[in-house]
Amino acid sequence: MNLTINGKTMTVDIEGDTPLLWALRDELGLTGTKFGCGKALCGACTVHIDGQPVRSCSVPISAAVGKQISTIEGLNDPTSAAVQKAWVENHVPQCGYCQSGQIMSAVALLREKKQPTDSDIDAAMSGNICRCGTYQRIKAAIKQAAGSLT
Amino acid sequence: MESSRRELIKTTTLALGGLVVGFYVPEKGSSPAWAQGAVPKAPPAPNAFIRIASDESITIFINKLEMGQGVNTSMAQLIAEELECDWQKIQSVSAPVDPVYNHTMMGIQMTGGSTSLASSWEQHRLLGANMREMLRQAAAEVWKVPLDSCQAQKGTIVHTQKGQLTYGQLAEAASRMPLPTRESITLKAAAAYQVIGQSKARVDAADKVNGKAIFGLDVKLPGMLHAIVLHPPFAGAHIKSVDDKKAKATAGVIDVVRMKDRVAVLAKNTFAAIKGRDALAVTWDKKGTDASSSSFLAAFQKAAKGDAPIAETRGLGEKPLLKAKRTIEAEYVLPFLAHAAMEPLNVTINFDGKTCEMWSGHQMPGIDTMRAAQILGIDPSAVTAHTTYVGGSFGRRASKDCDYVAVAAELAKLVKKPLKVTWTREDDMRGGYYRPMALHRVRVGLKDKNLLAWDHRVVCQSIMKGTPFEAMMIKGGIEEAAVEGIAHTPYAFENFRCTQNLVDTPMTTLWWRSVGNTHTAYVMETMIDELAHAFEQDPFVLRRQLLAASPRHLAVLDLLEERSGWKTRDKSGPHAFGVALHQSFGSVVGHVVMVSIVDKMPRVHKVWSAVHCGQVVNPEQAKTQVEGSIVFGLSAALYQEIAVEKGRVQTGNFDTYPVMRIDEMPVVDVAFVASTDAPSGLGEPAVPPIAPAVANAYFALSKKRLRTLPFSKSIQV
Ligand code: FES
Ligand code: FES
Repeated sequence: MNLTINGKTMTVDIEGDTPLLWALRDELGLTGTKFGCGKALCGACTVHIDGQPVRSCSVPISAAVGKQISTIEGLNDPTSAAVQKAWVENHVPQCGYCQSGQIMSAVALLREKKQPTDSDIDAAMSGNICRCGTYQRIKAAIKQAAGSLT
Repeated sequence: MESSRRELIKTTTLALGGLVVGFYVPEKGSSPAWAQGAVPKAPPAPNAFIRIASDESITIFINKLEMGQGVNTSMAQLIAEELECDWQKIQSVSAPVDPVYNHTMMGIQMTGGSTSLASSWEQHRLLGANMREMLRQAAAEVWKVPLDSCQAQKGTIVHTQKGQLTYGQLAEAASRMPLPTRESITLKAAAAYQVIGQSKARVDAADKVNGKAIFGLDVKLPGMLHAIVLHPPFAGAHIKSVDDKKAKATAGVIDVVRMKDRVAVLAKNTFAAIKGRDALAVTWDKKGTDASSSSFLAAFQKAAKGDAPIAETRGLGEKPLLKAKRTIEAEYVLPFLAHAAMEPLNVTINFDGKTCEMWSGHQMPGIDTMRAAQILGIDPSAVTAHTTYVGGSFGRRASKDCDYVAVAAELAKLVKKPLKVTWTREDDMRGGYYRPMALHRVRVGLKDKNLLAWDHRVVCQSIMKGTPFEAMMIKGGIEEAAVEGIAHTPYAFENFRCTQNLVDTPMTTLWWRSVGNTHTAYVMETMIDELAHAFEQDPFVLRRQLLAASPRHLAVLDLLEERSGWKTRDKSGPHAFGVALHQSFGSVVGHVVMVSIVDKMPRVHKVWSAVHCGQVVNPEQAKTQVEGSIVFGLSAALYQEIAVEKGRVQTGNFDTYPVMRIDEMPVVDVAFVASTDAPSGLGEPAVPPIAPAVANAYFALSKKRLRTLPFSKSIQV
């Protein structure tokens, strides 16, 4: 099966019902995308499919064929760079395990809404759990990134 | 002495970055690499912790697990303060297992008890100072000038006539210099700090925003198989029969391996292994047990009525209760809780029949090494444990019997191939090891505005029983960790008694971020609030009276009152305010919360935190610990409970074990009491006071006391 990931075509030889998460992590070595719950409850596995943030633990690879998949490893546009910079400057990551997913959700939000309000941020980010409790800094970092992009 | 220490210092050429100084080679005849149980001699040779390469890069070996608390940065700051190096050149890596890295107080290589900075405070500054002195000596020798004329400055040694030499240029020569004596080193006074007290960016931040950081679950070995294990559904369940036909026929499954009380499915990827496990038909010797959340409660309530050993008595103990005009009696029930770190448990392991390598977020790597060796039947020196980044721990990775390492080792022994053993979220949540359930009975006798006596019974399950810590941590039947914060409370109660029963259940217990303080502070701080209401007294005023002899508490109360504007708080709106404070791990933390009621539940809008933790090494990081502790403590207080039915843990994933999300995040304002005292803990101490502060505010709004946790349980029934 062929998947388009971060602009490249990659081939995996596994069952079509395999969630994209495990194809990325175990077959393709893209371990930046994390496993947290396996049930679309935590957001640790968030990637973009055709620009939309999705929980890769709950998308079978068969449904991702022919679509543009991007992962944390593929972020390379100004929005992503602004988000990553703001994340570092605001001391966001603690253990860091949830942060790939947080960043993928935040980048998708900022591509959609240049100046998100608090409730936009809440709505876009509430699918991402952070057990270390970095939420206040995530909010600040998203606002800083939004500010730096205008 | 001198020469044997010099033995420690070897130069080794490594592929990375040229000549590397300070490759640690154990002393001849010293204890082997896995030896545990010795407090390291102070100060250890700096080269075990600091490597300076010819490209000027400085690698710090961090002997604590970076689990989010920031040790890779803050401990490096302690070294950098004295080393006089260029901070930008520093990188931190996890130390291997060696007695030189043992905890300076606990004598084993471990992270825990909020002690990383406290226990490394002198050691790490000395390490930096020793290395700096050896570099100066080297420069003095190269230049043939007096030592006094050589100054250390930002990664170089300078001399007014000779110019400068970089640390990278001097490193090799420095490795041959004698270790300075302790007496020859004067550590900097606080006023001279340039690195300590600075909010340095985390050294691990860049790799944690681009997906490059390698967590245990990300380790990949050539030819590695992915293992998912079917664990016993409850403690003491044994396998009767296994039908693995369907599992073996599942696409991607390579093998099914029968373990002692488990069955492992090995596959080419994790999902295939999960599917294979789902296809297993296993019968257990019993369907269940009669253990349940309600049977635990009954047992705890029964114990509370019986006799109990006394943890502390003051004055006349509980006797004056008889003379009380008014008695407040309360029973509190706090549930079992799971750590639920973001990264589910996992170990990657490779055992070839003779030697073993394993990778995981080891919180006690030496103990994990010994446990693996014991199971594999090999000498511990044949086991190499690599400590990776870990997606949180909150105590779980300091497993008292190395449970998840043991499972991986048992499987590795049978398979002898590179393996990654992964726990699913449900495995992690149901895999035992919980903050023990606790029941408190409190009787407080009042007469007018006087507190006559306070009688406090704690019923709890032991954490320490059956562990190597039992002898140290359980004395006279009293488990210190079950009554900490109540027995020997700083509140100046004249007549006071604290008693304690330890009740066994089939559940396995473990330290959970702030250990016993998680339940003791809740009860103590909500009862103090109740007392303030009974006396019609401001809760700050009452606390100040009772804490008059505790300067750290008073300093926190002052700062908290000022920051939160307590005296001028707006009592008219839909909000109410609550306060609580607690001392743990040497630090005092107080929170004031602003709360309203949304859908019957308390909603926290703002938290002001005041903290006394001695010298703050990295203020922004210290704040993150407080913010995170608030989320951790609030999540538990609002929603979390491990529910047990017929012996089986029902709670399995974040749907039944909710964690606070961003839309519930209060604004948090953290302030520190200025102090140059040695640092005390901060990874845990902000957890205990958050739940009682919220409960106190909720009372102000509803006139209801929340005595059963989580709040969702008290409120919805
Ligand atoms: S792992 Fe996909 S949402 Fe949690
Ligand atoms: S940073 Fe640890 S879970 Fe979010």
